[in-house]
Amino acid sequence: MLEIKGLSFAYENDRPVLKGVDMALEDGQVGILLGRNGAGKSTLLKIITGVLKPSGGSVLFNGQDLLAMTRRERAALVAYVPQQIDFGDLTVYQTVLTGRVSYYSIKPSKSDLDVVGRVIAEMDLSDVSCRNVQELSGGERQKVAIARALAQEPKVLVFDEPTGNLDIANELLIIKEAKKIACSKNITVFSSIHDLNQAMYFGDKFFFMKDGSIKYTGNSEVFSPEIIRDVYGVEASLVGDRGEKYINYYKELRND
Amino acid sequence: MLLAVLGMAFVCLFVGSSHMSFSECIQALLNRSTAANNRIIWKIRMPRVIAAIIAGAGLSVSGLIMQTNLNNSMASPSTLGVSNAAVFGANLSIIAFAGGFLDTGSHLANFDVGANPYSTSLMAFVFSVVSILLILFLCGTRSFSPNVVVLAGIAIGSVWTAATTILQFYATDVGLSAAVVWNFGDLGRATYRTDLIMLVTVGVGLVFFLFMSRRFDALLSGDAVAVSVGVNVKALRFVSMLLASMITAVCVSFLGIIGFVGIICPHIVKKFFGQEHFWSISASALCGSLLLLVADTLSRSMGSGSALPVGAITSMLGAPFFIAIIFSKGRRR
Repeated sequence: MLEIKGLSFAYENDRPVLKGVDMALEDGQVGILLGRNGAGKSTLLKIITGVLKPSGGSVLFNGQDLLAMTRRERAALVAYVPQQIDFGDLTVYQTVLTGRVSYYSIKPSKSDLDVVGRVIAEMDLSDVSCRNVQELSGGERQKVAIARALAQEPKVLVFDEPTGNLDIANELLIIKEAKKIACSKNITVFSSIHDLNQAMYFGDKFFFMKDGSIKYTGNSEVFSPEIIRDVYGVEASLVGDRGEKYINYYKELRND
Repeated sequence: MLLAVLGMAFVCLFVGSSHMSFSECIQALLNRSTAANNRIIWKIRMPRVIAAIIAGAGLSVSGLIMQTNLNNSMASPSTLGVSNAAVFGANLSIIAFAGGFLDTGSHLANFDVGANPYSTSLMAFVFSVVSILLILFLCGTRSFSPNVVVLAGIAIGSVWTAATTILQFYATDVGLSAAVVWNFGDLGRATYRTDLIMLVTVGVGLVFFLFMSRRFDALLSGDAVAVSVGVNVKALRFVSMLLASMITAVCVSFLGIIGFVGIICPHIVKKFFGQEHFWSISASALCGSLLLLVADTLSRSMGSGSALPVGAITSMLGAPFFIAIIFSKGRRR
């Protein structure tokens, strides 16, 4: 279980970004972090992955304090897939191999190479493994980023806006892959997403952030026009279609 | 590439203003020629060939490491103002303290004559190190953010350049010409002792960079990803920038300014071999050695008796090739 207790953070002392964030996510669950730009979503994700250090609070995985771990120990538990990815001039194989950096010093062992080969096959990247990542499409590049994260053999996979720069075909592809990983490997997935409809399809548990803390938590039932109005300041309505809910937040535009 | 470097080293050894024949060079190499020829090969050409191999490798790899660390393809040893600081230190020694380095080392008659050939190099080195430490100290307050490092380097580098200009403004004609000659860069200043010092510095740097090569690969994906896969980005950036700068400082202090090697060679290597650091570091080192050997051979063949500035040759030789590589559409692998 991933637990966050009383987490606080400030880039500058007088301007706190996180003010006592509390949340919990079961193993294998897909947690979605929602909220407006500047609500503190990326900051929270960066603290979980060790990129930023909080000013207070704790991040626990099955009772172990992630913040007290060494970088290597944390890399074996938590992996990160950022929104903007620049891979440099490497092949797919070389890029995925960087996910094993914390497991070896100068030369990867046979087991490291086995893991990389397996992950590349699982992510259906075998055909492009020798190609330069820069030559791939946006969706394939995102899959390479996920493959690198999986090569860490993590228990928690953190995504920051995984589909932010993708077309809808690649968007669906990445969401499908991420859900498959969570189910088949029992990996806890924690992701920030802007599109509420995408979030409802992708997630099991939802966390709405406002003013530096988690204001609403729950399963898909938590989505309501009132909460959306409170968090985003937007009028929305829930519409049903073939038994599934969709959120329509373009109503205001039509009424203009 | 290794064979090309070795081959070029022999060519470089056999070419010079004394017009020794191939067989005379071989005899001299075996110490069986005349005393003058033996001296030319072992006391003059051999140290400069070794210097070309070591300094070429060091400057090229320093450029590659700085480009990765700063995520900036235009980064090079001069980005941090290391060369500018070295120039100021050397100019201060020559102009203000009469450093005794008026011989450029290119002329047989002046060889081994300098009053104190290490004083100028020492001053150049001291100012380079002061500049590096100042920049890294300043950037430490901002977690060694690449942009901050580049901007601080440019700013401090321009301060050294301005200080050098003021120094030169007040210099005598002799002092000014001596300072300008030092700035040209000359492999003829190399001795076995300076080669040994450069070898130790470049060797330590290369071993460290190769050992950290996979971490540099991770750094290509940005700081956040590198941290998440277990890399201590702040420490890696500090130590590798310090080592790359030290390599540059040592090479520039002994040989003067040899520009462009740190930009041209890493780009050529990346174009052909990709960016996986274990191979690109090794290939950059060989490419830098090769470029400097070719440039030095040309500089000594074209100078009609005295060697042309090797730094000018590296730029004139490398820049057109560099532009052709940049604009070519061929894939590296």
